[in-house]
Amino acid sequence: MTSGDEDERAARENGAGRAAAVTGRTHGSGLVVRGVRRSFRGVVAVEEADLEVPAGSVTALVGPNGAGKTTLLLVLAGLLAPDRGTVLLDGVDLAADPVAARARTGWMPDALGSWESLTGRELLRAMADAHGVPRAQARRRVDELLALVHLEDLADARAQVLSRGQKQRLGLARALVHSPAVLLLDEPASGLDPRSRVELRDTLRRLAGEGVAVLVSSHVLSELDELADRAVLVAGGRTVDVVEDVGAGGRGADDGTARPTRPWRLRALDADLLRRALADRGLPVREGPGGLDVVLGGELAAARLLAELVADGVPVVAFAPATGLLEQAYLELDERSRR
Amino acid sequence: MTAPGGTSGTDLDAPTAGRPRRRPDLRVSARGVRTVALLELRQRLRATRWFVVLAVWVAVLVGVSLLVRAAAAATGDLDELGSLLFSAVAFLVLGMGLLVVPALTATSVNGDRADGVLAPLQVTLLSPLDVVLGKLVTAWLSALVLLAAAAPVLLWAVLAGGESLLRGLVVLVVLVVVLAAVCALGLGWSALVARPVASAVLTYVTVAALTVMAPVLFGLTTVLAEEQAQVQVRQPVSYSESGEPQGCEEQTYDQPVYRTDRTWWLLAASPVVVLADATPRPADTTTEAGVERVDPLAAIRTGVRTARRGPELEQDYCAAATAEELLADQQEADAAGAVWPWGLGGLVLLGAGAAALAARRLQVPYGELPRGTRVA
Repeated sequence: MTSGDEDERAARENGAGRAAAVTGRTHGSGLVVRGVRRSFRGVVAVEEADLEVPAGSVTALVGPNGAGKTTLLLVLAGLLAPDRGTVLLDGVDLAADPVAARARTGWMPDALGSWESLTGRELLRAMADAHGVPRAQARRRVDELLALVHLEDLADARAQVLSRGQKQRLGLARALVHSPAVLLLDEPASGLDPRSRVELRDTLRRLAGEGVAVLVSSHVLSELDELADRAVLVAGGRTVDVVEDVGAGGRGADDGTARPTRPWRLRALDADLLRRALADRGLPVREGPGGLDVVLGGELAAARLLAELVADGVPVVAFAPATGLLEQAYLELDERSRR
Repeated sequence: MTAPGGTSGTDLDAPTAGRPRRRPDLRVSARGVRTVALLELRQRLRATRWFVVLAVWVAVLVGVSLLVRAAAAATGDLDELGSLLFSAVAFLVLGMGLLVVPALTATSVNGDRADGVLAPLQVTLLSPLDVVLGKLVTAWLSALVLLAAAAPVLLWAVLAGGESLLRGLVVLVVLVVVLAAVCALGLGWSALVARPVASAVLTYVTVAALTVMAPVLFGLTTVLAEEQAQVQVRQPVSYSESGEPQGCEEQTYDQPVYRTDRTWWLLAASPVVVLADATPRPADTTTEAGVERVDPLAAIRTGVRTARRGPELEQDYCAAATAEELLADQQEADAAGAVWPWGLGGLVLLGAGAAALAARRLQVPYGELPRGTRVA
């Protein structure tokens, strides 16, 4: 029905290593938003939104409550008509062909509703039907998704017995049922326990790795830090800034490429000794809450510094990334907007 | 939904002029309707104790029918029992249907929206018509189950009273159509109004308006429909000691008449009238004693058709009220033409309009949102 199905079939025929593929999608053209504005009865919720989510990346939509994140995502999901501006979803103009655009888009709302009396399997089958996924594929697809979100054991339990986190995971599976090229997630990690967050992060990374353009909104920065490649900052209904290469868990995290400088927080039993040791190395030190903040070139530099400090007999008890880039940018943004 | 962003008030002047008008999504597919219907059926069947509902429904029907039978047997002519019982059961099924069925759809759309399960359907390839028709089919099927449960009681009334099976069948068919229209009505309100409580109330008010208030309005407007007219009256000159009319004179009076031929459609709007008018008369319209058989269905039919004909400008009080005379009256009334096609047609149109409105309200992307409505 959609090109997604064809992609999927093509991917299957290609064979090797595709069993684990979540979407089997080849790289598309992602999400492009230009000059989108949306108001409600003259009250502007989104003033001017410009952003891009390249295929194969995870982009965070960051901003304080009321910045217009949810409204923007509703526009992108095809539920709200923008007053002006264009939205291209995997190359399809949302205004020109809303149905084709919806076929390429998966959306997980922040207020996640559920059909309480349906089991997860029934729900996903119904959603596959609603998306016109051929029946023969739907069964396999549903099993895949249940495995992906670790709900196989609960596949035949009614939604009313699922916990909030489990419903949240089912919601993600629901958004993925038609193998979308663009995935829109509104506060997906709220209510998730730490383990589920890690799983969510891994799942989204994997989807991005398969060529899906993922846009995640949140105001919990710590979770985005680990998850996103890039962040688009939103304030007062405008996209104000883009921060590239944000998280420690970003794409470049373990491939040895140069990381951007970021602050690390150190604490030692003897604070003066630590301060002196850092000063000896010519590292500028900032007094942070519960430790000293030092800006380092990357994880490699951090590991080296730690080894040296320990070798020098500095009793280090804490050595960890301090606030992420994202948090820094966000706080700066917040400060600017309050000024 | 997001609160307003920190923007200046100048935008109030140019609110939404730029939002382009969109072509409505009129797609409809069997698969889409089926998908929604299955989803609804699963959700509603499991969420409600339908077995209890059905048991109560049948118990009430049987209980009231037995009471009617006992009352009729105790007071009335056993000869009339059949038509009385049949009419009672027919009205009972209609009345209870009108009480229960609006609840099936009256909070369908806005309730789903409040539960956050509407938008996830709207972002799929399902069209607004798929969603509306799927919901309608589900509610209608539920109504059919109620009717199926009532059918044996109706059959019992038919058999116990020696009525024709055709009468029972017509009653069922009319109910099937009327209840479908009521389902659609509830769906329309639930799509139009943001709050489930409000749409439930409005649905019941609409059903009550059609069923009860329209006939009451008919009664009240007869005053407005009053007119002076020349009426030819034939009446006896005198009566004998035993009360027999003697002699006959014809006079013309200038007297008020009621132009019910202008207001009869108020009666036709009522499902009760539709049901009564559509149901064929009993095979035997007079009792063994030669008086008119008490059959509420047939009585309403005669009444509404007579109303539709309007005032009689010739009246004859000389002729005795014989069975033949009664038959002639009924035939005259029947000849005036059926009222039920208007009533039933009106109900079906109303239902279709409500469903179309619901489908319109489900078109995404939303332009201006109605007050109090959330997207998801």
